[in-house]
Amino acid sequence: MAPNVEYYCPCLAASPHPPPPHLPSSSFSFHPLHSLFFCEECDAVRCNRCVMVEVSGYYCPNCLFEVPSASVRAEKNRCARNCFHCPNCRNTLTVVASDPPEDADARMSPIVSTTLGEPPFFLYCNHCRWDSAEVGIIFEKPTGLAAQLQKYEDSAPESLEFERLKEHFEPYLRASSSSALPAASHHIHTNPITAAAASALARDIPGVGKYSALARNRIGREKSTQKQEIPDYKPRVEVGAASGLSAGGGEADVEYMRHLEMDSEVATLEQRWGNSWVSSLRTADLKPMRIPLQAKKSKRCPSCRHILIKPEQKAQSVRYKIKLVAANYLPAISVSLPHAQAALEMMKRSTALSKSASVPGDEHGAAAGTLLAGKTYAFHLAFTNPLYDPIQVRLKKAQVMPAGEARRPAFQVNLPSAAFPIAAFAEAWEYEDDEEDVFALEEEDMEMDGMGRDGRGRARTVGILEKRANVTVVGGEVILTKEARGNAKFNMLVSYTYRSDDPEPADDEMATPSRGHASSRAPDMKTFSFYTVVDLGPVVPRDESRVDPD
Amino acid sequence: MDMPIYYTRAEYIETDTGNKVSRRATIAGPQNIILGGKTIISSGAIIRGDLRRTGPGHAVVISLGRYCLIGEGCVMRPPYKTYRGNFNYYPMKIGDHVHVGANTIVEAATIGNHVEIGKNCVIGKFTIIKDCAKIADNTVIPPNTVVPALALFAGSPGKHSVRAVNEDMKVTFAGQYVEDLPESTQEMAEAYTKQYYTRFQPLPNER
Ligand SMILES: [Zn+2]
Ligand SMILES: [Zn+2]
Ligand SMILES: [Zn+2]
Ligand SMILES: [Zn+2]
Repeated sequence: MAPNVEYYCPCLAASPHPPPPHLPSSSFSFHPLHSLFFCEECDAVRCNRCVMVEVSGYYCPNCLFEVPSASVRAEKNRCARNCFHCPNCRNTLTVVASDPPEDADARMSPIVSTTLGEPPFFLYCNHCRWDSAEVGIIFEKPTGLAAQLQKYEDSAPESLEFERLKEHFEPYLRASSSSALPAASHHIHTNPITAAAASALARDIPGVGKYSALARNRIGREKSTQKQEIPDYKPRVEVGAASGLSAGGGEADVEYMRHLEMDSEVATLEQRWGNSWVSSLRTADLKPMRIPLQAKKSKRCPSCRHILIKPEQKAQSVRYKIKLVAANYLPAISVSLPHAQAALEMMKRSTALSKSASVPGDEHGAAAGTLLAGKTYAFHLAFTNPLYDPIQVRLKKAQVMPAGEARRPAFQVNLPSAAFPIAAFAEAWEYEDDEEDVFALEEEDMEMDGMGRDGRGRARTVGILEKRANVTVVGGEVILTKEARGNAKFNMLVSYTYRSDDPEPADDEMATPSRGHASSRAPDMKTFSFYTVVDLGPVVPRDESRVDPD
Repeated sequence: MDMPIYYTRAEYIETDTGNKVSRRATIAGPQNIILGGKTIISSGAIIRGDLRRTGPGHAVVISLGRYCLIGEGCVMRPPYKTYRGNFNYYPMKIGDHVHVGANTIVEAATIGNHVEIGKNCVIGKFTIIKDCAKIADNTVIPPNTVVPALALFAGSPGKHSVRAVNEDMKVTFAGQYVEDLPESTQEMAEAYTKQYYTRFQPLPNER
């Protein structure tokens, strides 16, 4: 794997410091920069694990119809037009007529066959050739199929039971939603139905409230404000027996399995996973599924609730009304190992000469980028400034040592100790096409580092190596002990100082509001710090390397 | 980071608008193919501009936008169907910043902007892929599939579902929705494809 840098979101930790990189938990707290958000209000990085997600609109992923929220409920979160999944392979099914098509290809197109043709109609999969006639599902008209299928789904015993449950709780819900509304607004994920179910469960089964996150939020309020009694509910479908009705389960399934001839007679978990209710075990009983709707999502900061992501209404638009992503605030950092790149370079030049140009294979990169235990390597960190102002960056390596363990660290990292500048981002850089100079520069760098590695040029290895446009490349080095194992991975604290009073570049339509930080009149320097984890790659033990003459 | 990707100058033809087309690619019916500029057609790729709708006049069969990459050994073929008894080919339109991995077969009707398609994929006839979508390596997208914007689709290579009615026939799961892609996909795809074009350059000793 190529060396990489990931950024820390502190949401999982009690302390602001990240876990040591060798702990498995570390990987859950670090994320690629492009997946992170930034809350200006809190001046903090947010990740997909901690942001609050809200649905801003529903659409069908197949016909792309934008479904109004009112219909979503009635249609049970699935498409009500002619969109169905093949129960066998998940392809989208096609409506076909039963008169034989003129040639095989007519079957491939959904547009053709629906308008012409003789009834009955059925659903056909052009990927695996499943068709709904096999399970006895045929239609008199090629329209309104979803409604007919939904009638099927809604008549499932579990579905009816669920409806009755909802009815049962209805009066209670109406009462509680009116009294508890102001308080409920602080926890938007709790919808009244789940809340009611959770509190009923907490009441009936001792101890359950302790483990339910929903109940935890509501139970306090429940005790004080809600004393209303709900009558006991008499289920019509017994637990466990439910599946005995039509859907198998228990003795019936055992009996069926006893007489199996092919394992393929049993539907796979993947094939049954998406069903709303318990379904039959048999492959031959699989029913077509109305395609589940997708949602466009807004995201909010978990602590101040400001919106970080707000998509445009149109389902297939990739634009956003609000998009506060961390990449517009924090410098992007990429790491490389010059010795690996030099090796890769050599290899590619020779292959390019022998055959055509090709994308560098990862296997080659891995072989060339080997870190040998007991050796010292230079690495490059390239910082790209996204702000319209120059910034000053300072790096600090976080302690690798696990607390309480008196183990000698397997490697030592030297980073430039002085702060270094990165020039401002300017749109003009984007249009500069004469980047040949840039490559020339890089080639020189590599030779320079070759010298640095054997100890003489150490001063030049650690420090600023290159400045171009809004990118500054600094060098660091890693000294591996002979005992070094695993990945050479360390946490790095990055602090950058910026002017917080810059005037907004007025004419620039590409500027996101984020790029000019909120102006506060008085010129004022601010510092923002964040943690990253730098992974230089796996260390190869010395013993294995002794084979080849050095 | 910005490592160059070298090619031998003799292999590629560079057009006025910066398209780079390998001499080892097969470009059939070039008069029916539009390349938007700074688009790379790699060696061994086959582009079937010759499969055009019947009838008189000029017709664009395959159009590609700017900063596209058609990987090595890819096949780009316009989709076809028989409509009211007439067999015909239909045009294929591909947007800007679209990368198609090596050995992938594309018979899509439209592919939006900032789309990434992996290697060894089959993109079935009349498939519609919306903006900023991504198809993972080795995915089979069956004909007429719609891939929504910002969606990652992947198949389940190696996993087979077996038809109960026809035991001999093994069927791979069709490529399907896996997850939403990050909100910054567009910027990343744009930066990556532009950078790729810059990195793609003739061997320095030939300059
Ligand atoms: Zn987080
Ligand atoms: Zn639909
Ligand atoms: Zn199928
Ligand atoms: Zn906030």
